[in-house]
Amino acid sequence: MLNITRRRGERVVLGDDVFISVLEVSGQTVRLGIDAPRSVRVYREEIWLEVKRENEAAAQAASAELPKDMPAPLKSDSGDEETRSVSINRAPARDENS
Amino acid sequence: MALAIDSPRFGHVEIDPETVIEFPDGLIGLGGTQYALLTSDPDSPFVWLHCIDDPSLSLPVTDPHRFFSGYQVELTDEDGERLGLDDSTAVDVYVTVVARAELAEFTANQKAPILIWNGRGHQVINQAPGCDLRAPLFAEVLGGAAPADGDGG
Repeated sequence: MLNITRRRGERVVLGDDVFISVLEVSGQTVRLGIDAPRSVRVYREEIWLEVKRENEAAAQAASAELPKDMPAPLKSDSGDEETRSVSINRAPARDENS
Repeated sequence: MALAIDSPRFGHVEIDPETVIEFPDGLIGLGGTQYALLTSDPDSPFVWLHCIDDPSLSLPVTDPHRFFSGYQVELTDEDGERLGLDDSTAVDVYVTVVARAELAEFTANQKAPILIWNGRGHQVINQAPGCDLRAPLFAEVLGGAAPADGDGG
């Protein structure tokens, strides 16, 4: 693994178009800014890992039959269009404090 | 030209190329760039998101709105832009299902729904509050009984 020391305000460049800035260092916490092309997906590692594991767990079931006798879902809108719209957050999502 | 795959689950399947869904980024952590929705039982609430690149890969998915009243998907601005989605885009929403021996143990991933529109699919991180990676799928259908704790005291 490559180790690079950076100070607040300094950046690391991955390839030609991914820039990672150290915005703030406070105790054990480092706040990073990531400037990347839209096509680059950025995740916190723990979220990426959790989703990957759930996807793998779901795929594991592929050899098992889903049960036939199951309670009816809340509603069955077959025939209707099942399309929905999603809502887009207006708050800058990468500027959170949690 | 018809697309044929040999699926461990469904055997030899011919897939209408019109129904192929392109996943430019694959599923998170799993990859695959082309999938199709398959079912052997049109009455089932579940369909299989079946990978075409890798026929050994298939996941049961369902429409979350059939199990979770009030389920919503909220995206970050960045994801909205990246995917070319806005509030008016009509999309099909699916969640992955982990099937287990007992219905009460079935879970769905509310946190990373799969959005499909215009022949394209993306798995996204849902920013809506209260989303669970392992939401008991039949909790509401079974009458709100919590499956995990048994008879608590």
